[in-house]
Amino acid sequence: MHNYLRNAFLCAAVVVGTLGTAQAEVNMVTWGGAYAVSQQKAYGDTWKGDKINWINYNGGLGEIRTQVESGAVTWDVVDVLPDQARTGCDEGLFEPLDRGMFVPAPDGTPMDQDTMRALPNDCVVPNIFWSYLAFYEEGTFKGEQPSTIADFFDVKKFPGKRGIHTWPNALIEMALLADGVPVDQIYEVMSTEKGIDRAFAKLDQIKEHAVFWSSGSKPIELVKSGETSMSLAYNGRVGAAILSQGEKLVPIWDGQVLEEQWFTLMKGAPNAEAAKKFLVHISAPQQQAGQAKWINYGPMRKSAMEIIKANEPWHNTGVNVMPHMPNRDDVLATSIFSNAAWWADYGGELKERYTAWMSQ
Amino acid sequence: MAGLVFTDQSRLPPSPFLNNVSTMPTASANPAGPILTVDGTPLKTSLERSLKLSKLRAVGLVFPPLVFLIFLFVIPIGSLLTRSVDDSLSNKVLPRTLAAFERWDKTSEPDEAMFEALYLDMKAAEKLDLSKLGTRMNYEKSGWRSLVKITTRGLKRIEGPPYKPAMLKLNKRWGDIAFWQSLGAMKDPVTFGYYLNAVDLKYDGNKNVMRVNKHRRIYQLLWWRTLLVSTIVTIGCLILAYPVAHLLATLPLRISNLLMICVLMPFWTSLLVRIVAWMIMLQQNGVINDSLVSLGLLHDDNRLEMMYNFTGTVIVMIQILLPFMILPIYSVMKTIPPSYMKAAQNLGATPALAFLKVYLPQTIPGVGAGCILVFIVAIGYYITPELVGGKDGRLIGNLIAHHMQHSLNWGLAAAMGATLLAAILILYWVYDKLIGVDNMKMG
Amino acid sequence: MNAHDPLVRFVNIQKSYDGETLIVKDLNLSVAKGEFLTMLGPSGSGKTTCLMMLAGFEPATHGEIYLEDQPINRVPPHKRGIGMVFQNYALFPHMTVAENLAFPLDVRGMSKSEKMQRVKRALDMVQLGEFGDRRPVQLSGGQQQRVAVARSLVFDPALVLMDEPLGALDKNLREQMQYEIKSIHENLGITVVYVTHDQSEALTLSNRIAVFDDGVIQQCAPPDMLYEEPENAFVANFIGENNRLMGTVAEDNGNTVKVNVNNGHVVEAKKVKVEGVGSPSTLSLRPERVVVAPEPASLPNIFLAKTEELIYLGDHIRTRFSVCGTDDFVVKIPNSSVHVCLSEGDEVNVGWKVEDCRALDA
Repeated sequence: MHNYLRNAFLCAAVVVGTLGTAQAEVNMVTWGGAYAVSQQKAYGDTWKGDKINWINYNGGLGEIRTQVESGAVTWDVVDVLPDQARTGCDEGLFEPLDRGMFVPAPDGTPMDQDTMRALPNDCVVPNIFWSYLAFYEEGTFKGEQPSTIADFFDVKKFPGKRGIHTWPNALIEMALLADGVPVDQIYEVMSTEKGIDRAFAKLDQIKEHAVFWSSGSKPIELVKSGETSMSLAYNGRVGAAILSQGEKLVPIWDGQVLEEQWFTLMKGAPNAEAAKKFLVHISAPQQQAGQAKWINYGPMRKSAMEIIKANEPWHNTGVNVMPHMPNRDDVLATSIFSNAAWWADYGGELKERYTAWMSQ
Repeated sequence: MAGLVFTDQSRLPPSPFLNNVSTMPTASANPAGPILTVDGTPLKTSLERSLKLSKLRAVGLVFPPLVFLIFLFVIPIGSLLTRSVDDSLSNKVLPRTLAAFERWDKTSEPDEAMFEALYLDMKAAEKLDLSKLGTRMNYEKSGWRSLVKITTRGLKRIEGPPYKPAMLKLNKRWGDIAFWQSLGAMKDPVTFGYYLNAVDLKYDGNKNVMRVNKHRRIYQLLWWRTLLVSTIVTIGCLILAYPVAHLLATLPLRISNLLMICVLMPFWTSLLVRIVAWMIMLQQNGVINDSLVSLGLLHDDNRLEMMYNFTGTVIVMIQILLPFMILPIYSVMKTIPPSYMKAAQNLGATPALAFLKVYLPQTIPGVGAGCILVFIVAIGYYITPELVGGKDGRLIGNLIAHHMQHSLNWGLAAAMGATLLAAILILYWVYDKLIGVDNMKMG
Repeated sequence: MNAHDPLVRFVNIQKSYDGETLIVKDLNLSVAKGEFLTMLGPSGSGKTTCLMMLAGFEPATHGEIYLEDQPINRVPPHKRGIGMVFQNYALFPHMTVAENLAFPLDVRGMSKSEKMQRVKRALDMVQLGEFGDRRPVQLSGGQQQRVAVARSLVFDPALVLMDEPLGALDKNLREQMQYEIKSIHENLGITVVYVTHDQSEALTLSNRIAVFDDGVIQQCAPPDMLYEEPENAFVANFIGENNRLMGTVAEDNGNTVKVNVNNGHVVEAKKVKVEGVGSPSTLSLRPERVVVAPEPASLPNIFLAKTEELIYLGDHIRTRFSVCGTDDFVVKIPNSSVHVCLSEGDEVNVGWKVEDCRALDA
């Protein structure tokens, strides 16, 4: 019901908005915080075209669907999660794009061949990789230090509470990995009833010790305050704490789950042409690499990674950023690329089961 | 000598005779034919004419709120109810397949005719409709989404009949009878399937109602928890609000104004700020736990879990909703003169009995209004439970928000919303029966 | 027990709310059994505070109140067994009339049959036998008032307090209710302490009236005494209409005094409350005791007066003279067949007896 209300307000906002934005401006919708700042610096400051309006949202397709269905679209470019990118394209909320218009890699490789993961549909434009990973604060444990995802699930060896999120994504993969399933068989195992049972059995081992978080800023607080000895977190939050605030946090790269992040163009975007130009700009290797100066999320284009490698120290604080990149070569072997197609099929069911599990 | 003579009629005692004359209707003076005004038009016409303008004005005044109401209430609720039962997409996209499904015995392996119907349907369908349908079908059986997507992509590689082996070649899951069976749940354009889903039930292939897999049963639990939390929060608010409201109503104005500011302060503070403040207070390394440990009342290893769980949700919601309880109770208490309590004591009742028999019953309209207000707001709450609910403090509102925002299963969200609305209406009806709605005083 | 035994005694009662000013100053008062005593005074004179102390809702700051010779300062209100009619009746709005009446019987644990009998009797007493099932809001002001009286009596209290019970009623109803209260008092033989600021109500109802001013009882006497023989200027002024002549005592003759009023006239008056020769005094003279155009030398005090204003009031003509230096001297000339006919500006003699003119404090 809440959404219908917002719907009505949106209608009003559209009327006002269309009056106000006669000239082409690009309404860029993203997530706020340090992430949006990095985008403004890497994409906005290097952009010579129309004015960019940076708008924050909290994810989800609710608003997007409302805009498209009511025919009152005010957003142009939206920064989306992998499931949003897929569902949104399936539901016709995003515009399919011509691949030919994008900037190829310096060696001439076309954009759609230059991404570390295949483009799932015609709507998406490459953005970044980020990951769920475990971390702890230096000095928490005496003697042996945790170094694998199995250690995260081992509360005997490494006592203390564990911070985990309130939805199942990445946790199922991590649980199975910790239980000994090889990286390349994770989704095979997850596609069976038994495999899911096995994952929940592993999760049961830390349930007593779990503190559940739902906001991305929480894990750092949980670990810093000592409420939990280890927590899962978005790698960018941990990286920002280390790189920008000098916190003594230790990420455990083993068993991290990489998630794709895409840009999309709203169906019926009011400033479609300008937005397309902007999308070409931000997906170009130079801009992709540039964002890593400000935040340790990994560019999706391979050629952008090469630019960073060749120009270290790349981070704006004068340190090497490559050791903090979630998609750098040396950690890929023990990382999982989240299978968004699998989650699109089974995510709903699993979310219900996970919520039930949390509540028991 | 004006002083000696009364000329002012108003000072005369009321005369019953005079009154009778002035109120005597003119109608009785003219029993035959319609009554005419002085200029000869019928009285009725004249009256209607004189009322017309004021009627127009009244309509003019009512119009804006009416439009507001229609746009913000009637249309959204209507669309909510429509969404919650609408299942027309599958009929639109898969007419042949569903017809073939009707002829099928639901247990044997699907035959070539069914595959042909499916192929033709998918071939004829819009690509967008197909991907939407995939999402819809996935609610009935996980896996449909990718199955439809893979098949849509591979459709152009199928050159002609027989279709069965070609489809099976595209994806072996087409041989899985469970997918075919799940079509049964979507064959009617109007469905109550979302309402069933909202209480952990579903249709099987024959449209019989059955429970969902035991691992997935979460909605009933959340409904009960939502009711429980709302009830606890309502009772908690009542217990805290009653004495505060009494103080507000009885303290001298200067002090009660100050207290009123304290009561209203939360309204002026951002919800997030308040929630964060509670986190600092209640978390395991928070102020309360630290104090208890440092006072030696609590062992360091047994710190209380008051945040990111049921307790946290209840505590924070009580604080946030407290003003909604205080204000109606206060406004009712304000109207109760202190003489009632005095009278009751004077008549022999102890102060406690006077409170129970005389004061309390008179505050019931405020208590009722406060309880219904808090309960209704609590039952749909989701921001606070999302932030502090953790593992077992999240409510049905969180799942509605999830389905609105993330899963995009608006049918299920609408069904849950409608159920919530129905629950509130039932509550209102019960309240009306018990206390009477006209007895409610909102403040 | 005889009827003159005191039922209530206030002994040296003082009351202060803020510790700085006294609302009630050293009050001593006895109320006899069966008496109808009215506390009369302007607002803020302390009369309601006294009633509240008696009912137990306000503690006395100093002194002791006795009820049937028992000190009751420490007895809570609900144990005093005193009936009370509140200013706005305080009928419980959520109960029917019958339930309101049954309330004091309920809390006393009375049996159902006796309760019903008593409620019926009380309702019949105030002629509201048919109204038991109504709610207070469904009754008129007068009916509510009667219910309030009935409720204060239903548990047979020896003492009933009434705090301006007729204040909310219109004039006609008020007069009617006065008679009803009076007859109830006489029929039941209860003791009533009544608070009002309306002197005619006090005169109509009371056996005795205690006139309050500034926290002190100025005079406590039966109505006729209070009217005829006020003991000080406040009481003379407060009760009934009163002509005042200001002057200085010139001669003290024991029972009478001669007072020089402002313009040089000398008035002979009854000595009531004057300090002695040379002290200021207020002469108090009731308007109906003044004779217009008396036979010369028939009265000790005769002065020439100028007619200032005439107001025709039916049974009498209210005439304002200027005499003895005041132009606010009122005389009530009865509208009889032989009355003097005056017009504004006419000059005429007015006179009065010595005993009708009381020399009081200034």
